[in-house]
Amino acid sequence: MINLIIDNKNITVPRGTDIFLAAKNNGIYIPGLCYHPKLSQYGGCRLCMVEVTERGRTRHKFSCAQPVSEGMQVKTKTPEIIKYTKSVMEYLLAHHPLDCPTCDKSGECGLQDITHDLKLSKGRFKTVRMNKPMRRDNPLLEFNANRCILCGRCVKLCKDVEGVGAIDFQNRGINTIIGTAFDKPLDCSFCGGCLSVCPTGSWQDRTFKFRARHWELKKTTSICPYCAVGCTIETNTKDNTVLKITSNDARGMNEGNLCIKGRFGHDFVHSDKRIKTPLIKKNGVLSPVSWDDAIGYVAKRFREIKNVYGGKAIGGIGSEKCTNEDNYVFQKFCRMVLETNNIDNLSNMKSPLLNTLIHKSIVHGFTSTTSLKKIEKADTLFFVGADVTEAHPVIGTLARKAIRLNKADLIIANLRNVRFDSIAKNDIRLIHKLGTQAPLINALIKTIIDEKLVDLKRVEKATDGLRELKSLLKTFTIKKASQITGVSEETIRKASALVAKPGNCYIVCGKDIEEDPSGPDTIKALMNLCALINTASSLKTDAGKISLVFSRLNNNSQGANDMGVVPDFFPGYLDIDDQSNRKRFEKSWDTKLSDTIRKGTAFNLIDLALKKKLKAMFVMGENPIVNFPNGKTVKEAFRQLEFIVVQDTFLTETAQLADVVFPTATFAEKEGTYTNMAMEVQRLNIAIPPVCNARQDWQILCDIAKKMGVTLFYESSKEILDEIENTVPIFSGIYYERLIRQSFNWVTAHKLKSRKYKFEILNPKSVTVKKKRDYPFLLLTGPSLHHLGSFSRNSNSLVSVASECFVEVNRKDAQQMNIHDGDEVLIESIQDSMKLKAKVTKKLPENMIFIPEDYEWVHVNVLRDNVYTKVKLSKA
Amino acid sequence: MNTLNRQKRDQNEEIDFSKAEEILDAYEGVHGALIPVLQKIQAAYGYLQEPVINLVAERMNMNASEIVGVATFYAQFHLQPRGVHIIKVCCGTACHVKGAPKIVEKFSAELDVPVGSTTKDKLFTLEEVACLGACSLAPVAMIDEDVHGKLAPDNVTQVIQKTK
Repeated sequence: MINLIIDNKNITVPRGTDIFLAAKNNGIYIPGLCYHPKLSQYGGCRLCMVEVTERGRTRHKFSCAQPVSEGMQVKTKTPEIIKYTKSVMEYLLAHHPLDCPTCDKSGECGLQDITHDLKLSKGRFKTVRMNKPMRRDNPLLEFNANRCILCGRCVKLCKDVEGVGAIDFQNRGINTIIGTAFDKPLDCSFCGGCLSVCPTGSWQDRTFKFRARHWELKKTTSICPYCAVGCTIETNTKDNTVLKITSNDARGMNEGNLCIKGRFGHDFVHSDKRIKTPLIKKNGVLSPVSWDDAIGYVAKRFREIKNVYGGKAIGGIGSEKCTNEDNYVFQKFCRMVLETNNIDNLSNMKSPLLNTLIHKSIVHGFTSTTSLKKIEKADTLFFVGADVTEAHPVIGTLARKAIRLNKADLIIANLRNVRFDSIAKNDIRLIHKLGTQAPLINALIKTIIDEKLVDLKRVEKATDGLRELKSLLKTFTIKKASQITGVSEETIRKASALVAKPGNCYIVCGKDIEEDPSGPDTIKALMNLCALINTASSLKTDAGKISLVFSRLNNNSQGANDMGVVPDFFPGYLDIDDQSNRKRFEKSWDTKLSDTIRKGTAFNLIDLALKKKLKAMFVMGENPIVNFPNGKTVKEAFRQLEFIVVQDTFLTETAQLADVVFPTATFAEKEGTYTNMAMEVQRLNIAIPPVCNARQDWQILCDIAKKMGVTLFYESSKEILDEIENTVPIFSGIYYERLIRQSFNWVTAHKLKSRKYKFEILNPKSVTVKKKRDYPFLLLTGPSLHHLGSFSRNSNSLVSVASECFVEVNRKDAQQMNIHDGDEVLIESIQDSMKLKAKVTKKLPENMIFIPEDYEWVHVNVLRDNVYTKVKLSKA
Repeated sequence: MNTLNRQKRDQNEEIDFSKAEEILDAYEGVHGALIPVLQKIQAAYGYLQEPVINLVAERMNMNASEIVGVATFYAQFHLQPRGVHIIKVCCGTACHVKGAPKIVEKFSAELDVPVGSTTKDKLFTLEEVACLGACSLAPVAMIDEDVHGKLAPDNVTQVIQKTK
């Protein structure tokens, strides 16, 4: 720690802190426009000059670029400094258009604030307007070069934080301008980071322009409703209308960084396409009815079905997008009122073993991340089957921070050469063949064992089954592994060394692993890898710790599983067949659970419906018709049903098949909690009252229960969370009020009992994919940066940037078939066919095509089989 | 590079990347080598063309915007095709006093090209420079490596003809 004096105040700060930050953290104001705590120093605006006395010498220094030293005396407000700062401001303002009345930044503008602070009214210079042209080449962002003071914050953010680097300083001297290469239209990820760091009104949100003044906006802290990262957002509203989403650097794990969906994808809240009233199907047409009628009708039909076929003839699909409270009430409603255990959520239906595997990984301490923010402290990052840039962009920003500040090494194992821009010194790509994920991880394990990269004696002591693992891998040489996986021996060796090196390693396990047929094997192999490294690390010599992060798709995919919307578990992963668990819930719910509440058959809901074992289905906030593989079968299954109830915000494909549709509230109108993929429970808050007659999901469920003669009564989400706190062991200690300040992580809150790890003994074989002669290509589907679910589909901003789905084709394949960028191609599988625009890319291996699956209006799932789908391709 | 080759390349839209690849190979893995790379590439291709810059960006793991930022900062780099002959008219103090603006005007009118641009036939690029250090010969202009001193608007035509 360093002691220094700033403006006669004694201050102690850590070594390496800049004077600027030291002053700011101790309540001393120094003007400055280019400094930003998130970004590297630049020293470009020249405003933060201070007088520094050190070892008897007094000099003027720029406080943002001067680290503190012991005994330093700093004065920030001498007459000379004020004179200097004023004249710098005069220069900055000489070319500034001073169009504050029509500038959206007015009121939160750094330049304006400093002008006000320094009481600058009339400058000495003749002001000249530059009249540079506006950059208005995209639907979301606008750049007004006249207002720009060239502080370089946006340039650094774009390059360092986002890894995009779309903009930079162009030209020289007075002609300097922030621009793109060759003045091309802005082609970036549209994260809007430039908006968030710009100290003036140069970057503008076009969707917000002229809609409100800064001081009219009400800011409500909430959680982003899109992906599983769970960024903290601020919903800006005026007159009960959501106008923009901003972020607060000091709140949440995202440090004020958002992606395009989070920042711009909010306009679905006020979309015309929202369902405005409850709907009941009459003569094949969904027609508006009152809430009472709809609820009465649903209660009546459910009672009938229950009486005739029994409760288990009703299926329930919970929601990965609704809150924990909604999902808790949903499973309670299904189990207690409908008396069925045929409930599930789409993520569990897609990868049924994942919950158990995650639980195992938690028990052995492999998933002990308190927050995703920890990733920024990583020494090694290992993305396995995860396309972070597209699926979880903010994990990308955290990873880049680790790479930039912590010199972290990066390993990416994927089928495709996914895009991840970084400046990592060691950036290793393990581009492996299809179905060889598990052998690849085993190859890493083998290398670590063979080359003794870890202390094997220690491992042997702390675990079971190392000998079996060794003997199993005996014949599995690196050479063989290299042949199977298609990754060179050298790369495997390099990657193993990086994974095993001391320091924190974060493994992000992506969707390509979780939803793959060989997924469980790969995850088990990953756990073996974790065990090998974690148990070998001695706390004395290194803090070697490896953590597995399982990526999830939606904002509350984790929560839906936590809340027991799965057939195997009560909330909190309590075994449903266990009597004590059963008693626990019977006591809490004050009821006797039906005997049908047991682990059922191994079939998922779609299969059950196909087998006509289900007569009715209750779908809460999901669209399985589009979001579940093998779309045709799903549709077929839904056609078999007698009665379908859907709660959703939009009339999705599933809602269109329903007999009754209830309109529900969106994230802006809701309160409750979401759980992100690192098991952080975070709270969202009501920003606006419900739009167009919508209700909270749990409210609708309670209303139906009441009509069916069971009292499920809650005043608010808080009461539901309190019940969860009381009943579910892993959630004990969660308090609604405390969540305002701090998220709750059930993994770290409860140290689960750890047993000795026993290595999983797996045959390191690859999955062979049978080829079909007529269908030479293999279809891969995956995430998209711009879209996720029915929200993004109804957001005009997102659709305006990404309006058309596409199919990625390997360059060589494209050349052979004479396909060019933008050509329409016909994709045929055994199930179905569709036409899409082609995008020629080097990312993909040959004989494979890739279609993003989140352009919801394009039903990619109808092409898909349950496993690898073979397709053929032709120019349309 | 001889004139014929350059014209041939300009007519033919396909760019030969092999030279750029060769230069980039030599600097593989070297950090902070952007400026020498750009200099060599400019020497090989005459100017920095978009596809070549994109290649440099890809190979050096940089963003095109950053490279263009560097290229537009330094006067030595050119993003537009340059003429076979470069005319540098001195506009230093001595030349200015001796009527350099008129010389520039004459060159511009004679070649039908604004200052800082290249003629349509890609033969001449007209530039203003600060001082050529030959004030005793003011007003002075340099065409390629030849210095033409004591110019007058009347003999500009002659100088151009001579160079052609």
